[in-house]
Formats: sequence, structure tokens, C-alpha cells
Amino acid sequence: MENIISFSQATVEPIMFYALVLLMVPLAFGVIFDRSIIRAGFILIGVFGTISGIFLLLQAQFLAMAQIMIYAVGITLVVVIALMLTNPTLDEDRAPTQAANRLPGFLIALLVFATIFLAIRSELWPMAPELIQSDPTKAIGYFLLTFYSLPFEFSSILLLAALIGSVMLAKSDRAPMKTEKGNAKALAKSTR
Amino acid sequence: MLSKPLAFSFAYIICAIIVTTLYAIGVVGDTIMQAGFNPEMAGLFTASALFALGALAAICGGHGKTIAVAGIALAFCVLVAHEQPLVRYMTLSALLFSIGMYGMVVSRNAVRMLMSIELMLNAVNINMVALARYIDPIAVRGQLFAIFILTVAAAEAAVGLAIVLAIYRNNASIDMEKFNTLKW
Amino acid sequence: MTSSTITREIPKPGINFQLYELGKFIRLSLTWLTIIFGAVWIASWLVGVLLPAAIEQFMQGDNAHFIGNVLRALTPIVSVMVFIPINAMFMVLCERRALALFTVRKGPNRVGPDGYLQTAADAVKLLFKEDITPHGADAIMFTLAPIIFFAPSIFGALPLLAAVTADHPLYSFVNLPTGIFYVLAMSSIPVVGLVMGSWASNNKYSLVGGLRSAAQAVSYEIPLVLSIITVCFMAGSLDVVQIARQQAGGLLNWNVFGGGALTHANLGSITSIVAALIMSLSCVILFCMYLIAACAEVNRIPFDLPEAESELVSGYNTEYSGIKFAIFFLAEFTNLFIVSTVATVMFLGCGAAPLPILDEVMVGTVTSLLAWAQNNLGANFGQLGWLINSLINPTTFVAALWVILKVYSLVVFAILVRGTLPRFRIDQLMDFGWKRLIPLSLILLIAITFLKELV
Repeated sequence: MENIISFSQATVEPIMFYALVLLMVPLAFGVIFDRSIIRAGFILIGVFGTISGIFLLLQAQFLAMAQIMIYAVGITLVVVIALMLTNPTLDEDRAPTQAANRLPGFLIALLVFATIFLAIRSELWPMAPELIQSDPTKAIGYFLLTFYSLPFEFSSILLLAALIGSVMLAKSDRAPMKTEKGNAKALAKSTR
Repeated sequence: MLSKPLAFSFAYIICAIIVTTLYAIGVVGDTIMQAGFNPEMAGLFTASALFALGALAAICGGHGKTIAVAGIALAFCVLVAHEQPLVRYMTLSALLFSIGMYGMVVSRNAVRMLMSIELMLNAVNINMVALARYIDPIAVRGQLFAIFILTVAAAEAAVGLAIVLAIYRNNASIDMEKFNTLKW
Repeated sequence: MTSSTITREIPKPGINFQLYELGKFIRLSLTWLTIIFGAVWIASWLVGVLLPAAIEQFMQGDNAHFIGNVLRALTPIVSVMVFIPINAMFMVLCERRALALFTVRKGPNRVGPDGYLQTAADAVKLLFKEDITPHGADAIMFTLAPIIFFAPSIFGALPLLAAVTADHPLYSFVNLPTGIFYVLAMSSIPVVGLVMGSWASNNKYSLVGGLRSAAQAVSYEIPLVLSIITVCFMAGSLDVVQIARQQAGGLLNWNVFGGGALTHANLGSITSIVAALIMSLSCVILFCMYLIAACAEVNRIPFDLPEAESELVSGYNTEYSGIKFAIFFLAEFTNLFIVSTVATVMFLGCGAAPLPILDEVMVGTVTSLLAWAQNNLGANFGQLGWLINSLINPTTFVAALWVILKVYSLVVFAILVRGTLPRFRIDQLMDFGWKRLIPLSLILLIAITFLKELV
């Protein structure tokens, strides 16, 4: 078993990379251009799935799983629910992009890509690819609880704040409907 | 029968894949046989061939967006085919980042804009993990940073969507072109 | 009187009738389980042992070795593929018969001998039904949804295979270092398929079902994952084989009773004993919490709001028919099986017997039976003697028997819950998830982490 896997690692990796890229780039454009915004939300799940494939190629198993669990299922589902709550069918027959921003947006994106690409190309990277951490999960856990425990704690505070803040923002200002009578009143008010 | 735009788009995609494959065979064959193949020049030639083919298909009535997307994906493959792995991954990250930036600038729907921001955050994550794999492979600190980005992205998505919902309640629309009450 | 003849023919609904039906139910379960696991066993033996051996025997050179290795690597996936459809058929039949038992009825008893083939007939019927895509539906998403719902149940449970076969060499390579985390990540995917299918059906009932399922899955995923994480803290590993191995050696070493806290407690100090007792109690609560959250995760009654037949027609699968509906159905029951397996591996000691002596006796018996077969039969068939030996690995066999017993007990328990409890209302469901389960799971996580140090 081990023989087959180690033999094919060097040849399979680029093939998998290009396959994932050819899947990822059209999907990423689909997120932006698809007319139906909810379908775009589901396409986003595909993009996150391919990104987790890229993480697997980069020997980051833990992160690939976290990517699927948090991004592809958690965040995207919340996005899709928000889309369904905001009545997307109103905008369906219009173009998904703002006409005035198309050319500046394209130029900005091109400029950003060219800058980053040239910067990457001009750098000589001190490579150490032949070393591989056998258990990256352990290393992550170690650093998370020793050197980086302060940011770790702060991220938990951030999450708590985001939780409370989003509840406060999303809560409607209407009075709570407690009794049947109150319910009817609130309904009458909302229809008026 | 395929419709005309679809037929031209498919024809373009097939031709472009053939051109890219030829280039890839050139790169791979050169590393094996050392025949003096110049990847820079051949890459330039292949990219211009992709562009010319795309223009031809678009003029004949192809589906513009499909051609552009296929062209960009394949041109990316040509661009990174002779690079080392780290540069490949980082270029992919740059491409995804620019796609996300384009989406953020042009989107009409506020939620789609948030989705583009998620794309950009993910691009950064790819960068981090690639650096962790190739430069810091023992103490994979890039992955650690990616986990923090994941956390922040989750918080960002929650708050952003709550804001979008609040706007929807007030405006009955999440069209970005109608959020101009603070313009003047 | 005619009524007296009728009462003589049909046993009165009473304890005798129930015992008679219970006997029939047990007989049916045993028959079906033998069929299922016999089929899986023979399939994996063929692919993993016999075919590679034959190829390496008759084809010389490196190629044969390579093909043999590929076949061996395919064994886990082949056994899962063989297992899933037959198992789903059995579980549907088992559910109907058990529900009939709980509500004092007879259940399906016409097709085949005493209704044994009822679900096989249902499956054939579903396969031949017309596959309809409703008007206005998003055809691609509509087709993709059942696949996304079903695919994780094939690939998601692979690391568990290594644990339930006691690290058999054919299955040990599917044991990933991030084992249980992989299983959890995969088991979170199906809800995407649900939401996708419900939106693509272009049906309001479906959409409501899909939204409910999304909200439910996002809320109940947290206590589910937290309870599993607590077990990982106790074991100090994400590797399922290691977690399973740590629970060997008797009932008290199972994680559901504190994972060895009671046996390792220092009898001299009061603190240690009290801590061990509290820890085992909290682990029992943790296990119950896992069962509740898992029940919600696979949309079983009392958490079946996404499909709620009496409110939403059939929720997300209202518009599905034919083979797509069959795939949804298959995946639902496979998911129930997978969460039961996770519970078995993480809490109920995996392949370990309640008493360590039982394990030794059983393994010893199987080994001596094998040796007897080797001596008496193997001698007559010459070279084929090793085939008999390769057919049964005593440790794996005994472990698999215990796992089967535990998993199907949990499945029957889920059916019992289904037959007993009414459905939640959506606001009660959310309240229960966010206000009870999540705080409780966080408290237990902290409590068990501290108690583990005190024991």
C-alpha cells in the first residue's frame, strides 16, 4: 500500500492541482455571474469544497475538514438562508452586476492580480518541501495553546461579540407576540 | 441540437484545452529531455493563441462569459505550468483573490458581495496553507493563522448577514444601487 | 358463536401475542443480519483476499502485485457499497416490524415468508417508478441534491471501518489521523443536499422543510460536535482506532461510564473516588446528549420537522419520486446507522465485550474452531488450507459481532423513541437546542476536562 501512494505522490499532485483549478475557477465565476442568486450560494459550496481539496493536496487534513464543516456547510447555509429571507426573486430578471462598475472592477482586479503575481515571481523562496510534519493537528494544537493562546482567547471573545451583535442587529423591533390577542393585534398592525 | 452560442463556446473550450495540453506536454517533455524549450516564449504564444481563439469564438457569436471563464482558467494553467509548486499555489490564491475583488466591486446584490468577500478570505487561506507546507513545514504556523482567519470569517459572515437583513427590513431591497442615502 | 372462533384463531392482544410477535421479530432480525453481514464478509473476502491471491498466483511480475494491491485497497469501499443497500432494506423492514410491535399490530407480513421480502419489493417498485422533474424546478440542482445527500454516507464512515474491525490489515489504511473529525465533517454535508433539493423542487412545502432542516442542523451540530470533542479530550486522540482500543477491558472502561475513571480511581483518597463517580455520571449525560443531537442530525422523530408528514406533506422530498426518492430514503437510514456506529465507537467500547473474560473465551473458541477446521478440512484440500484461515480473523470476528449487537440495539432504541414521542414544535426545538443542550454540553466539556485530572 505505502509503495503505491509514495510512488504516485509526485505525479498525482500536479494533475490533481490542475483538475481542482479547472473546477474552482469556473465555479468562482459562477458565484459572481449566475443570474439566480440562490444557485450562486450553492455554487459557493462547490468552491469551498474544491478549496478543501487544495488543502488536502497541501497536507493540511485538519484544515480541509474544518473548511468543509465551517465554510461549506455552516457559513454557506447561513448565507443561503439569508438569501431566502431577502426575497431574491425580485432581482432575478436583472443583470447580476452593476453596469457602471464593470470596467473599473475588471481593471482593479487585473491590477491586483498582476501586482501579486509579479511580486510572487520576483521572490526567491527558501523552500523546505521535503520535510513534512507527520501530525500537523498536534502541531496546531500545541501552538494554539502555548504561543498563540492570547489570539485564541481573543477569537473566542470575537465570536461571542459577533453572536450577540448579529442577534441584536437581526432582531426585529416589533413587540413580542405573547397572547393570542396580542398576536392578532400585531398581525393587524403589520398588515396595515 | 446545440444553440449557436453554446456550440461556439464548446468549440472554444475544446480548442483551448488542446492548445493548453500541447503547452503542458512541451513543458513536461522539456524537463525530461532538456531540448531547449523556452517556457516563457511558448507561454506567451499559448496565451495569445487562447486570446485570439476566444476573440474569434466571441465574434462568431459564442457565449461571452463562458469563453472568458474558460480562457482565464486555462490561461492560469499556462501561466503556472513551469513554476515551482509554491508559486503555483500562491498564484491560484492571487487569482481567486482578484475574482473575489471583482465580484465585490461589481455585485448588485449585497449578499453576493458578502460571498465575494468570503472568496477573498479563502484565497488568503490558500496562501497561508501553501506557505505553511513549503516554507514552515515542521511548525505549520500558516495553518494556525488560517484557523484564525476561519474564525474571523465566521464572525464576519454572521454580522454581515445580520446587517443585510436589517437593511432589507428598512428598504425592502438588498440592491447595492439603492444604498445611496448617504451619498450627498 | 363466530366471535369465539375468531378469538381462537387470532391470539388476543396481550402478553402472549406480544411475545409471539417479539419472537418473530428477533428471528427476522437474525435472518436479515446473517444475510447482510454474510454478503459483506464474502464480498470483502473475494476482493481483498481471493482475487488478489489468484491474480498473483496466475499472473507473474510487478503488474500482478500492483493490481492485487489496488484490489486490496478497494476492499473497504466495496464492502460499504455492498452493505448500504441491503442494510437500508433491513432497517426499513425492522423499523416497520418494530413499530408494529410497539403499537400491538402485526406489520408487513405478506410478501415472501412472513413479510421478509417486503422492502425488497418496495425497492423494486421505487426503481421502476417514473422519475419526474417538476415544472419550474431547477433540473441540475434537483438531480444533484440526492447525490450530495447520499455520497457522504459512502465516504464518511470509512475511518470507522478500521475501528469496528479491530484494525484488520485490510481496513487499517482507511484509519486517518483525523479520523473522527473526518466522520463529523462528512456527516455535516447531507444537510446541503436537503436544502438544495428543497429549493430546487419549486414547492413551498419543500422549501419550508429545507429551511427547517438547515436551522436544525446548524443548531444541533454544535452539541453533537462538542460531545464528541469531550470524548476526544478524554481519550487524548482523534484517531478512532486508538479511542476504541482504550476502551477495551470491561464495561467500566467504556467512555459512557467515564472511560476508566472508576477503575483507575485512587481508592485511598476521597477526592479521587468522588471525582470518578461524578465523571462517570457526566459521561452518561454526555452520551444521552449525543443521542439527542444525533437524532436531530439525522432528522428522526421527535426531530423530523424537515419532513413532518402531517404539516409539510413530506417536506424536502415532496416532489421526489422514483430512484431519487429511493436514494434519499437509502441515505436517511444509512445516516442513522452511521450515527449509531459513531456512538458505539466513541462511547460503547466499540468491539470490546462488557466483561473482558467474554472476549477471551470467544476469541479462544473461534481460534480453536479454526484450528480444527484447518487440521481436518485443510489437509484434504491441500493448498486451499490457508484460504480457510484467511476467511476468519478471530479478533475481527468477535469485535464485529459485538459492534453489530451494540449498533443495532441503538437502532432499535431509535425506533422505540420514534414509536413513543410526538414531534417537537420548531420554536421548542430551537429553545431546546440553544438554551439547554449547548450550555449543558459546554458545562460538561469543562467539567470532564477538570475531573479527568482529579481522578
